[in-house]
Amino acid sequence: MAELRLEHIYKTYKGGVEAVKDLNLTVKDGEFLALLGPSGCGKTSTLRMIVGLEDITSGEMYIGGRLVNRLEPNQRNVALAFETYALYPPLSVFDNIAFCLRARSVPKHEIAQRVRRVAEMLDITDILDRKPAELGGGQKQRVSLARALVRDPDVFLMDEPLSHLDAALRAHMRIELKRLHAQTGRTTILVTHDQLEAVAMAQRIAVMNLGVLQQVGTFDEIYNHPVNEFVAGFIGEPPMNILPTRPVQEGDKLWLAALDGGFRLPLPDALRAKVERSKAQTIDLGVRPIHIETLDSSSEAVDALPATVQTFESLGEEGQLAAQLGDSTVLVVTSPLLELERGDAVKLRFRPDRIHLFDAATQQAL
Amino acid sequence: MQSKVSNNRLAAILSDGFLGLYFIFALFPLLWMVLVSLKSGEELFTTQFVFTPTLENYQAILFGDPRAAAGVVARQEFPRFFMNSLIVSSGAVILSLLVGVPAAYALARYRFRGKEDLAFTFLSFRFAPELVVIIPLSVLYRQLGLYDTYWGIIWVYQLVTLPLLIWVLRSYFEDVSPDIEQAAMIDGYPWWRIFWSILLPLVRPGLAAAALLAFVFAWNNFIFALVLGGSNVQTVTVSALGYISSAQAFFNRMAAASVLASIPQIVLALSIQRYLIRGLSFGAVKG
Repeated sequence: MAELRLEHIYKTYKGGVEAVKDLNLTVKDGEFLALLGPSGCGKTSTLRMIVGLEDITSGEMYIGGRLVNRLEPNQRNVALAFETYALYPPLSVFDNIAFCLRARSVPKHEIAQRVRRVAEMLDITDILDRKPAELGGGQKQRVSLARALVRDPDVFLMDEPLSHLDAALRAHMRIELKRLHAQTGRTTILVTHDQLEAVAMAQRIAVMNLGVLQQVGTFDEIYNHPVNEFVAGFIGEPPMNILPTRPVQEGDKLWLAALDGGFRLPLPDALRAKVERSKAQTIDLGVRPIHIETLDSSSEAVDALPATVQTFESLGEEGQLAAQLGDSTVLVVTSPLLELERGDAVKLRFRPDRIHLFDAATQQAL
Repeated sequence: MQSKVSNNRLAAILSDGFLGLYFIFALFPLLWMVLVSLKSGEELFTTQFVFTPTLENYQAILFGDPRAAAGVVARQEFPRFFMNSLIVSSGAVILSLLVGVPAAYALARYRFRGKEDLAFTFLSFRFAPELVVIIPLSVLYRQLGLYDTYWGIIWVYQLVTLPLLIWVLRSYFEDVSPDIEQAAMIDGYPWWRIFWSILLPLVRPGLAAAALLAFVFAWNNFIFALVLGGSNVQTVTVSALGYISSAQAFFNRMAAASVLASIPQIVLALSIQRYLIRGLSFGAVKG
């Protein structure tokens, strides 16, 4: 068990592609961290560098305080559960799991004992004699996890572990993986592009994009306090509405006026200081679909913005409204019971405590 | 419903019948060869299927002809030619395996400059008819002292066996996910152990099929062995010429020799049959 520390890690491939840029990240001992990002964000390169399948271009990596930059994969005592499972087809499940122990010349009776222990933990004792080709997806997944765990790794990495499973199995394995982490207490890193997986399993989430670490934190921190527009837009489903505005001073009141002239919103006091401090020319206003109230068009509230219904779908548990506000389309999650038709006039009210402001020039949160 | 079932049955019978006909058509030359090898000289040019079989042809080529005619040489040396064929063909396949397996792996896994050109060059050995290169080769062989040596024949057979092996195995290696090798690396195995205990078992069908085909091609090769080999390394294919002389053509003995010469191929093919169907069809599509 160990802490994993990445300091100023860079990965540049031949041909000059910068896959990872100045990555600083500490995964605490026993922590379950998710590395989350769209494809091509550098998360897989990071994972491969941690495991040792890819050279580190520059920077330092420590596992349990030990510099591992130059160590071979097997000397780092890390384990990786591959996205494709990568089981050894000629070997039985038992031999697959025992393979790494044999490499270390662990005594025979101990191998049997340890394989049995992880097999019990993963509930695969009944398939130990079978070959990988005879197994279903979920079973292969378990075998691949067992193979990774049997060596008692300091750091346990999983690369998109659930992406090849069907929906029901995926939900089940999410719970299993979480239980496994609780049971083993290993430092665990989950690489995924699926925020639901990250949220469901990990204690902290590291969001990456274009090779750069954007934000690390609990789901609550990342969801409620995104540091930039990318994180704001990437986390949350449906994604956050982003509306370009300009601050307008009128008397002693500060307004945000949409660039397309579609609305004017009195700025809540709590945000006023931020806007004044930043001196940003254009401000992107972000608000999540579930933080918008749909009001009757006769509403007199000063921060209710008139909009026109484009589409409304009742999805059973919730309704999804797309409304035109100026030239922009705003997505709103509503009660499924509303009865709205295309062209209806409504008023939208952004919950003042749930409004996010970003400097449009830098995309950073104010 | 009823008619559909009987239709299916009719189709099955028809296709079985067609396959049977084709089977007879394809195997008839073999059957004829066996029949001829059992005929005596007097019956040789008849088309009789019913005759008194004799083993004298086999006896003649294996142990010498008791009624040896002058001018017809070396027929009793068949066992030696057979051994020669065995040595150069197995030698060629073994050398091709030693060189071709790593080459196929490298072509499948690594990215390097000129990779496709190199692969194509190997393949191009199979394009040109052997006759095109045989004269310069024979000049070279005489200068290098490779003429009429086992090494010389084994070497030149690489033109036949190596491209086949490389191209079939390459597609097999490409089909094995690199993840598997990386998993084994993380597990702490040296590359040669990974190669031996994980990769080779996975490509075994391809290996068996390609090696068998290479063996057959080498065994059947005529022109290289004829021109580059002398009496020391004469193979069964070349020795078949010895049954025809200006005075007499011993087609029955030639047939007997051919029957014996086909035994190693048949034995090999049967012994690795279970890999063969998968291996060949796979290689055909991919390679």
